Amino acid sequence: MKIPYSWLKEFIDTRLSPAQAQEALTMAGVEVSSCRFLGEGLDSVVTARILEMRPHPEADRLSLCKVTDGSTTFGIVCGAKNMKAGDAVALAKTGARLPNGVEIKKAKIRGQASEGMLCSEQELKLAEASAGIMILPEDTVPGKPIADALGLSDWLLEVEITPNRGDCLSVLGVAREIASITGEKVVLPDVSFPEEGEPIGDLVRIDVSDPELCPRYTARAISGVTIAPSPDWMRRRLTLCGIRPINNIVDVTNYLLLEVGQPMHAFDLDRLRGLRIDVRAPKETLAFTTLDGSERKIDPGMLLIRDGEGPVAVAGVMGGANSEVVDGTTRVVFESAHFSPSSIRRTAKRLGLSSEASYRFERGVDPAGTVYAADRAVSLLSRFAPLSVAKGMIDAGGESVKPRTVPFRPERVNRIMGRVYAPGACMEIFARLGFPVADDGTGTWNVTVPTHRFDIEREIDLVEEVARLSGYDSIPTTYPESKAPEFSGDDRFVDIQERAFDFLRGRGFSQAVNFSFVGGRTWERLGTFLGFDPADAVRLVNPISDDATLMRPHLLTGLLSNAADNVRRFIDDVRLYEGGKAFGKSYVEGHFEEARLGVILCGKRLPGDWSGADTPADFFDMKGVVEPLLLHLCPSPVHVVPTCLRPFFEEGKAADILRDGEIVGWFGAIRKELLVSFELPGPVFYGEIRLLKATASPPPPGRYAPLPKFPPVFRDVACVFPTGVPVGDVLSMVREASHEVEEAGVFDIFTGEKIGEGKKSVGIRVKLQSLDRTLTDAEVHSIHSKIVKLLENRFGGKIRTS
Amino acid sequence: MPGTSEQIARLREEGMAVIAAARSESDLLDAKGRFFGKKGAVSGILKGVAALPMEERKAVGELANRARTELESAFDARLSGMREKERLLREGRDRIDVTLPGRGSMPGHRHPVSQTMSEIISVFRRLGFSVQGGPDVETDYYNFEALNFPPEHPARDMQDTFYIESAAGDLVLRTHTSPVQIRTMERMKPPVRIIAPGTVYRSDSDITHSPMFHQVEGLAVDRDITMADLKGLLTEFCRMTFGPTKPVRFRPSYFPFTEPSAEMDIQCVICGGSGCRVCKESGWLEILGAGMVDPSVFGFVGYDPEEYAGFAFGMGIERIAMLRHGISDIRLLFENDIRFLSQF
Repeated sequence: MKIPYSWLKEFIDTRLSPAQAQEALTMAGVEVSSCRFLGEGLDSVVTARILEMRPHPEADRLSLCKVTDGSTTFGIVCGAKNMKAGDAVALAKTGARLPNGVEIKKAKIRGQASEGMLCSEQELKLAEASAGIMILPEDTVPGKPIADALGLSDWLLEVEITPNRGDCLSVLGVAREIASITGEKVVLPDVSFPEEGEPIGDLVRIDVSDPELCPRYTARAISGVTIAPSPDWMRRRLTLCGIRPINNIVDVTNYLLLEVGQPMHAFDLDRLRGLRIDVRAPKETLAFTTLDGSERKIDPGMLLIRDGEGPVAVAGVMGGANSEVVDGTTRVVFESAHFSPSSIRRTAKRLGLSSEASYRFERGVDPAGTVYAADRAVSLLSRFAPLSVAKGMIDAGGESVKPRTVPFRPERVNRIMGRVYAPGACMEIFARLGFPVADDGTGTWNVTVPTHRFDIEREIDLVEEVARLSGYDSIPTTYPESKAPEFSGDDRFVDIQERAFDFLRGRGFSQAVNFSFVGGRTWERLGTFLGFDPADAVRLVNPISDDATLMRPHLLTGLLSNAADNVRRFIDDVRLYEGGKAFGKSYVEGHFEEARLGVILCGKRLPGDWSGADTPADFFDMKGVVEPLLLHLCPSPVHVVPTCLRPFFEEGKAADILRDGEIVGWFGAIRKELLVSFELPGPVFYGEIRLLKATASPPPPGRYAPLPKFPPVFRDVACVFPTGVPVGDVLSMVREASHEVEEAGVFDIFTGEKIGEGKKSVGIRVKLQSLDRTLTDAEVHSIHSKIVKLLENRFGGKIRTS
Repeated sequence: MPGTSEQIARLREEGMAVIAAARSESDLLDAKGRFFGKKGAVSGILKGVAALPMEERKAVGELANRARTELESAFDARLSGMREKERLLREGRDRIDVTLPGRGSMPGHRHPVSQTMSEIISVFRRLGFSVQGGPDVETDYYNFEALNFPPEHPARDMQDTFYIESAAGDLVLRTHTSPVQIRTMERMKPPVRIIAPGTVYRSDSDITHSPMFHQVEGLAVDRDITMADLKGLLTEFCRMTFGPTKPVRFRPSYFPFTEPSAEMDIQCVICGGSGCRVCKESGWLEILGAGMVDPSVFGFVGYDPEEYAGFAFGMGIERIAMLRHGISDIRLLFENDIRFLSQF
């Protein structure tokens, strides 16, 4: 909320300068985010009078003006048309730098010298837009700084009000806040006025049929008023605070909203059918046109102000077009009511209609303030508009408004805050707040809270008042007593994830972070290749964009687009990983979330290698990352098996990783259709790991086995197999072939004409070792034969002899 | 015997010429053999000296010996010169250029958000906090109601919420990590001392807001926890994160689930407190929100507010990472441009 400092000063004659007020309020919890001097840039702008005005000889659209500041006469070329000789205007002299950044220089415009500029309101940043130059009141004395003439020797405070402090959404509220900081007194302007009209009860009948939703309804009526613009000072203040001036009646209600925080509404009494008002919620849905011209659908339960025939306003939100004040209006009813905050909020939300009034009602308005606001409105208006005030006021529900009493133990504030507040100091703070205290010596005080502090209901609220008004600076810094922290499952997870990240970083992978939501046309088009039924997706009701409609079921698409984006930026070797959650529906718990780790790789096997081997990366480069990563995280064996269940991979180039019989991850080559769709030129390899499943059962500590004392024997076997034989299976069988087989590995593999169609040659090196003796030639030979037989019989292998 | 003297002189001259002419080590060694070998020229002359008359023997002998020494040292000098030259050549061939890049990859880069998050987690773990997680898809109860945001409360406007399709209609994407406070307190009795790092979501997008971002939440509950403890802990945290001399301030604020509530500011890292665009001329940057656990939150989890007190705090990681690294647009953090990531 924006508040001019001068307005505050009308309610509290504070010794705080604008900057001090900013600091003090901020440090008391009412954040003042900016404090701007309004005269900024107006140093060389003065009031002036047009002496003479004639058309520019060379240009139809320009005029030549002779302008005086009282002592000097200036020749000015002006593009506006809305002025005439004798008008008072704002003159920017040469050298002025206006608030909108324009610098005024002496210039020749179409051959005529111009010694300054006549300013518009927009150029002085007094309005968003303006039609011509600003014409000042007739009685303006030339030669005065424009800032003084316009009341711009003022500061505008921008106050950020937290949702609990609706009471501060007004000049009065902030003035009260200053009072509770400094101990200065808030003074309310006098609101006396003569009541010479008919009794209000004779003019209008008012009923509140839903007192639950409208605990108080106060009204004043006036007659004999003429609709006109309100005075400049009022229009200027409204504009500064962001409200558009309309006419004297509406402006006064808006002025009061800003000044005391009481939203008001003005009805044209003569447009109220049956001269009556009834506050009630309808029983059935109906249509109603609010004064912004929109037709609204009103549901049962939304509180309306009705006249004798139908709705005339949505209570506390917006008035209706049918009863608003118009040019011919002469009799007005001012509504100053109190509505239930939750009812107003529900209505405003459902209608999608938030107004200054509903904003305040939602956050709370002082129920005791309705009468003062109504009186102030009438009194203010009577100062500049001739009118006659009806006798008396209507105040339905006023008797129920009472201040609250909240118990407070001074000991409690010390306990919560960790420092001692003297009881006297607490007393003083309550006094500054205007909270009367009754201390009956039991150690519990009874603190009476005035109705405008509706946020204070409990002892803790009073504790906060004492703490914030004593200043948080006075809180000492101590440390909570240290206890050995527990080591939770999530601590373990954080550690595992850190280790995975470090491992991948060491392998040259950088970390990506993508949004958890995915979607859009790509998803619709590629659904079948993404390996996921959209019906199983966790969906957003209100996505921020079409690309964010559902929660990602895996990390693949994020990393794929990252790879594509980087390739587009001429980074061909992409190595990225991401740790994050995957989401899906689950029949047991409604939905599941699982921590995953995605790894993507494309480009060269060894980026930046200079030895000429710029081999492209392949499937085994990805396997060479994910498999060791799993072993790094948890040193128990994993099994890699071919899979055809993951449609985002190329057929035949996809594998699942199993650990203890459970799928803990998968990897493979991304299928062609996806590459094309993401505009990725070369092959891309991807792996995804289910981090918790993959590390679920860490093996027990390794047990020591005695080291061999006798030399090993190595035997190489070259064998031709049908292409489909999985070498991994061959190796595990060879390892099982005899107790003495310590290790078996592949040293060579190739295919080609020499070997024949559908065949591959595999060179296997076997390390034979006995713990208790050196193996004899005969023993070695016998194991070798056993292995050869295994390869031939079990796998259809054929031993190559040369 | 002048004939012999001349012979010696000639031999010396000849020897010197051969040494100079030798093109390789083996040439030189051949020549050396010819001159100094058992049947070599120098031996011949020395033998000849023995046959000379006594009175000449001395003079000629000296002459011959000098010639031999001179030739020998000339041979040696030439030989070592040749060997040195050869060594240099060979070494030039064998020496490797150690400045060429090593084989294999240079390390990749941690994402700045993850890096900051990880450092914050480790600071609090050192200060005795243990990690707790929670779901991203939350119920209205945990995300709002049990945190003292009643339905129709304007405080709900502080966080633009994403809703999730569900039968009961009560699922949201958590707007903060605070639901973990409730889940933790429901599960365990005090003392509680946890941090909850995680992903959170709000329907908001511009250069300082992202629809998804990260937070770290903290909660401590015990018999004797005070706001002074909170201020002490957070001051220590800011020192560890932003440097021991960075001024901090603690000022009142509002969150539905804490009371009294506070915000912590650090002196602006851009302007050093003199006021700039980043700190909106205030000289301070808001870094985190905190406060004493509201008694009504204790009510929801069955803790007695007369027996226990607690504090909670929460901070946005992106904001801290952006301040630390001077990143001005939050969207850069989610583009995963390797040229960007490589800077951290």
